Amino acid sequence: MFITNPLRTWLTILGMGVGTGAVVVLVGLGFGLQQIILEQIVFGETLLSLGVSSTGAQGLRLTPETVVGFEAKEPVLDAAPLVRFPALVTYKGLTGNVFVQGVEPPYLRYAGVTAEAGTVFTDDDAGDTSSIMLSPAVLKLFGIADEDVPNFIGQKVSLRLLVPANDGTDNVNEIPIDKEYTVRGITKEQGVLNVMMMLPELRNYVAITEYERIQVRVDSNENLPLVEKELIEEGYRVTALSKTVEQASKIFQGIQIVLATFGGIALIVSAIGMFNTMTVTLLERTKEIGIMRTIGASPNDVKYLFVSESIVVGFLGGVSGIVMGLAIGITVNLFLNFIAGQFGGQAVKLFSFPLDFLAFIAIFSAAVGYLTGVFPARRASKLNPLDAIRYE
Amino acid sequence: MAKPLIVARDLSIIYNKGKSNEFKALQNVNTDIYEGEYIILFGPSGCGKSTLMYSIQGSLPPGEGTLLIRGDDVYSYPPSERVYFQRYVMGIIFQSFNLIPSLSVLDNVALPMIFCNTDKTTRNRRAQSLLDRFGVGHVSHKIPAMLSGGQQQRVSVARSMVNDPKILLADEPTGNLDSVSTQQVMDKIDEINTFDRRTIIMVSHNAAHLSYAHRVYYLKDGFIVREVVNPQRKQIKPVREGETIVTELEQLARLFPYDSVETLRVKSMVNFLTQDYTFEQLSRIERAIGLFIQGRIDRDNFIKGLVLPAERGGVGVSEQEARAMATTTQKMIDRSTDIKRFRARKENDNIFFSQHKLAERMRDHLVQEFRIKLTKEQDEHLVEMIADRVTGVVTESEMNERLAKGVRAGGLALSEKEADTMTRYFEKIIAQGVDVSYKN
Repeated sequence: MFITNPLRTWLTILGMGVGTGAVVVLVGLGFGLQQIILEQIVFGETLLSLGVSSTGAQGLRLTPETVVGFEAKEPVLDAAPLVRFPALVTYKGLTGNVFVQGVEPPYLRYAGVTAEAGTVFTDDDAGDTSSIMLSPAVLKLFGIADEDVPNFIGQKVSLRLLVPANDGTDNVNEIPIDKEYTVRGITKEQGVLNVMMMLPELRNYVAITEYERIQVRVDSNENLPLVEKELIEEGYRVTALSKTVEQASKIFQGIQIVLATFGGIALIVSAIGMFNTMTVTLLERTKEIGIMRTIGASPNDVKYLFVSESIVVGFLGGVSGIVMGLAIGITVNLFLNFIAGQFGGQAVKLFSFPLDFLAFIAIFSAAVGYLTGVFPARRASKLNPLDAIRYE
Repeated sequence: MAKPLIVARDLSIIYNKGKSNEFKALQNVNTDIYEGEYIILFGPSGCGKSTLMYSIQGSLPPGEGTLLIRGDDVYSYPPSERVYFQRYVMGIIFQSFNLIPSLSVLDNVALPMIFCNTDKTTRNRRAQSLLDRFGVGHVSHKIPAMLSGGQQQRVSVARSMVNDPKILLADEPTGNLDSVSTQQVMDKIDEINTFDRRTIIMVSHNAAHLSYAHRVYYLKDGFIVREVVNPQRKQIKPVREGETIVTELEQLARLFPYDSVETLRVKSMVNFLTQDYTFEQLSRIERAIGLFIQGRIDRDNFIKGLVLPAERGGVGVSEQEARAMATTTQKMIDRSTDIKRFRARKENDNIFFSQHKLAERMRDHLVQEFRIKLTKEQDEHLVEMIADRVTGVVTESEMNERLAKGVRAGGLALSEKEADTMTRYFEKIIAQGVDVSYKN
């Protein structure tokens, strides 16, 4: 087949290649998008923790005892609380309303807090008394442009806490903190005005009796739903990042399916083209089949010949499709990153080609080859050798 | 008594049975073919000879009747066994070679062994040795299209033998070949029969091949009309005394393969009535005269050959008769050269030797031969007539007429009988001398 009609054979392979290439590119894009999102939000410990807050009903409150209670549960490794007070922040004479969040370093890990600029508090910073993290919105408040965000690290701001008076009224006591904090990092939290500092430092100024939120770290994935259920039954509101991730995954699977469908249509078109080629080849080789049959080839030999040829063509089509897909994906990616680099954006991997996906495509294209070959092959094997040998 | 290898009883094959284009390709065929025999199926196109061959090959199930090969009905085999049968029992050669154009010669020959899962080294060694044997070993790496027809057919002979089959089938193997290649291929097939002792069944309509076979089956319109035994080959098929006898008809059938039995009987009778010599003698005289005319033997050897008794390959005529034949032949051949020259002059005028002179010489010869006396006027008429006849202005019968005409009418005034004899004699000379080869 490669000898008698190389052009047609290679064109068929190219057709299959374009089809599979389309699938590879589109599905690769799906994988890539999914990965980008997951990379942003997924951290090992984040997925294994639950965010617990009180529903406000039933008088349930999150207190230091609650934390101890959570930690006492069998599958729970740790529980890290977050406390929140309204506050006023002042930077170079500008003052704005924010929330001060007091946390311990593990909380940051469990909640998956990362820094857009600067550094995040680590376990070593538990006793830190001089630095804070801000959310980007706070910078906006101070009129800092986006591109100047990294330069804000190291700036000093001062805070005044607004603590509710504990006398049953709506009065608020203003507690000024008489020192300036250094901004060590900018978080990625969007749309909220948050200032994050270490819980022990906050305790120096206010007495803390109630937490806003507790992050519960569970030992394993299997126990996650169990603990979640238990907590919900106790009356807490529980949010799990793993749920969010799952939902995001589902959405991206949907996107992937849509992309794969478009690719699949291309693949079907090329498969029909290949089927056509195999049928024409059958007609063209009818005489040859007749000769082979009369000199001792069995119908199965003939069938085997055809099927193996079409599998080879299909497989080569798949491989060339993979090569094409990878080439397109990588080129587009490079191009986009180049443009992104020009505009100061972040380099991203828009395409992703997991190895097992590529292997699947190679095998799948061979299978398509088999399917397109099996029908002409059956016809070839059923030819009457005498009629076939007289065919011109 | 040996059992026949192939037995057909009342075998009929009907194409498109029950449809409007129903065609009876074979009807009530009975054959017995023995191991080691060389059989030719002979007949015109569409007589069913190929149909019979392919039915034996296992590709064309019989419609009615039975076909047993080595005592078994091949068509009752399960498909796998039938393939086995086609691989190891049957080898086949086609008229159109049917080599696979994309494969090298070596691979073409090795192809049947690929289907038998023979390993590559054995395969190539066997294929190469067969190609060497059939004289095409030096082209084994080429593709078939680069070979001549004769070479291709020898390659396909090699292919048919690669699995060492018991029976070799050949479907007009020389139909597409020139005479030299035909001879080579026929010799190789003959060698396979005599040396390898394979049974050969060949389909042919070339009468020249019939002498190779042990027996020839004549087919016509789907029937076997005749079975002719070749008396020159020792028969393998056991002949029961008195059942079949070799007659003159068999001999005639080889001389006139296209004639029916009735015509052959007539020929035999006519020969007896008109000739003193038998068909055997006639064909030997023919051979001798042929050599003599071509100048490949001289007069003495010619006479010797004629005189030699039949048992020793001669004709067995009396010496006197032989001498007379030699003289007449010699004379006529000599005269015929004048015809040749005359006709050659016709094309390029030669001033040294006029056509008139040649015509006069021929006239002198005729006058001398028939011992006639002619007046001056008759003389001129005869010269004119000779010139006209040799240049083709008049036909044989016109000349005959003119010879018998009166002198006034431009004739010779010979009697009818004299005119006939002279015309006949002169025509024989013309036949020897005229150049009939095609000229542009």
